[in-house]
Amino acid sequence: MTISRRDFVKASGAAGFALAAPALLAAQSKEPIAVGTLCPLTGAGGSYGPDMQRAVVAVVERINRAGGIQGRPIQLFHEDDQTSAEAGVRAARKLIDVNKVVAIVSTWASAVTLAVRPLCVEARVFLIGVSGADAVTQGDHRGYVARTQPNTNTQGRMYARFAASKKEWKRIAYMALQTPYAQSFGEAFTGAVKAAGATITDSLIYEDKKPSYRSEVTRVLGTNPDLIMLGGYTPDSVVMVKDLYRAAYKGAILGPSFAINAKFIEGVGPDVAEGVWNMDRAPLFDSPAYKEFVAAVPGGDQSPYAPQAWDHMTLVALALAAGKGEVSGTVIKDQLRAVANPPGAVVYSFADGAKHLAEGKKINYEGASGACDFDQIGDILSAPFIVQQVRKGKNERVTVINP
Amino acid sequence: MPAITQYVFNGVVTGGILALPAVAFSLTWRLLRFPNFAVSTYLTVGAYAALALNVGLRASLELAWVGAVVVTAVTALAVDRIAFRPMRGRRPFSLAIASIGVAFVLENVVRFVWGNDFRSYDVPVTRAMLIAGLRVGREQLLIFAVAIALMALAQTFLVRTRLGIAMRATADNAGLAAVKGVPTERVVAAATLGGGALAGGAGVFLGLDASIDPLMGGSVIISVFAAAILGGIGSGPGAFVGALIVGIVEEVGTLVVPPTYKTAIGFVIILAVLLVRPTGLAGARS
Repeated sequence: MTISRRDFVKASGAAGFALAAPALLAAQSKEPIAVGTLCPLTGAGGSYGPDMQRAVVAVVERINRAGGIQGRPIQLFHEDDQTSAEAGVRAARKLIDVNKVVAIVSTWASAVTLAVRPLCVEARVFLIGVSGADAVTQGDHRGYVARTQPNTNTQGRMYARFAASKKEWKRIAYMALQTPYAQSFGEAFTGAVKAAGATITDSLIYEDKKPSYRSEVTRVLGTNPDLIMLGGYTPDSVVMVKDLYRAAYKGAILGPSFAINAKFIEGVGPDVAEGVWNMDRAPLFDSPAYKEFVAAVPGGDQSPYAPQAWDHMTLVALALAAGKGEVSGTVIKDQLRAVANPPGAVVYSFADGAKHLAEGKKINYEGASGACDFDQIGDILSAPFIVQQVRKGKNERVTVINP
Repeated sequence: MPAITQYVFNGVVTGGILALPAVAFSLTWRLLRFPNFAVSTYLTVGAYAALALNVGLRASLELAWVGAVVVTAVTALAVDRIAFRPMRGRRPFSLAIASIGVAFVLENVVRFVWGNDFRSYDVPVTRAMLIAGLRVGREQLLIFAVAIALMALAQTFLVRTRLGIAMRATADNAGLAAVKGVPTERVVAAATLGGGALAGGAGVFLGLDASIDPLMGGSVIISVFAAAILGGIGSGPGAFVGALIVGIVEEVGTLVVPPTYKTAIGFVIILAVLLVRPTGLAGARS
């Protein structure tokens, strides 16, 4: 089945509106609240954006069915950022200036989020996405920016937690490609590993596009590690793991799933890839919010980002509901931590949360993608991770590490 | 810490791969008097030609290697006919720029046909053998042996055959050689074919040792350039020794400086040679 982007945008916009209509009638004079989505429907993120947008539409459908924000329905406006900063900025301008949105939800690429960020801060529009670069939440954004993708520090600590859970991994080496996050990820990882009682035998940053990594491998293997933590992308990981295999390394290897993927297995061959561990950001599989998400968004369980998009929209709506009638981006950023972080009654959906808020109670939203607790700069404090291992030429899920 | 000999051995293998394009680069410079930067892209062409034969047509890697050598030699000759021959006699600078242009075109043809993703040959990765405390890979040993054999072959050709002698005569003084009846264009064609063959063969080795991507040739150009300059421009054996030294210094250097500075080592060698001995190791005359 093929649906063009334009049709998809039209259809999902219409669906959102149609579903909003009954609530709109019920609310009578109450004007809808405009919220924009800015997902990548085309470009490099084109395989992720549509699922994210569907998740947001499904949440809005539930919010409006539950009576909206103090009787006011939410009206969605969909734009495609084309996974391009330039297209993203144009789309954000339209959402802010024409549609008068109070929030833009579910941006994907870091480049887009970083480009759209100043517009949102200036117009006091709340921005929440899944972008991973540390810069997304750094600098002065006056609280208008948040994200549900863990930063490199949180990621480093989660990888370390898994590494420390394996008692046979006493001596651990870190080898990473020279990237903007190699250093910060490495510091968090090695620090947490050491705190858990293991030894960091070597920590080495290597250069991209080298014909071989024999001497890097020689140096690291000279320190006798039980586990090598690889931090790179697929092409360099292929060369590195081949060289480790040639050098008769028999210990364990752990890397990020975006590098240790099907392309990697094809590149080194199933024999060399056998047993390589890898980790990725996971949803909160046991959460009632995740179960509701899976039921509402068919196929959404295959997307690492759609559960986060589900939480984006829910958080925005809960923050608005906590705003006592005032509706603006400023209310969302001021109330975000009040509805997302402990203390408070744990809630798993907008309907549940709105009920508690109406009774004047403090709430703590636990989402489909994780606990959704935010720090001062808008980063989440924790996220679940999935652990996979290559077995017979395929990545298989081994366990889930919950924070 | 492992013995330094392991690093030296690693460097010798890297040097063996670098030596082939370094010799090709050096000989073209001597004969046509311009630095042909397209030589690095011939590595890419060779690697992909072998990929097409090995993965596409299921040929053995040995056969694919021979095919890659032929394809790259012919490509080099075609490039010479289309791009460089019309510019013979121009300033070396113009030709050097033209060669960079050729490199871009070839690289993008490869991208267009095979895409940007990296590829690998259909050969299993093997564990290294342990010989006298040294880890020696089978592929690495084979690569080095073939590189040595090719070097010896090239040197014998230059010293023993009529065409080789004609080549050296043309390199020394093209005008005088032409007057004496040396068919200059045939000599250039032979040298171009030979250079392309060496670089194409090296490209397959590089792809076998690491992986194949459209930028693979460009990633070694600094090291190749450094090897040719260190050896003394125009000297085959000089370029070979130069490549071994560059390979060894790059690998042993990782003991002293962080591995992220590997490429910088090539630059430092170029700078040092130009300052201390501009003619290089073998370059008595210029």
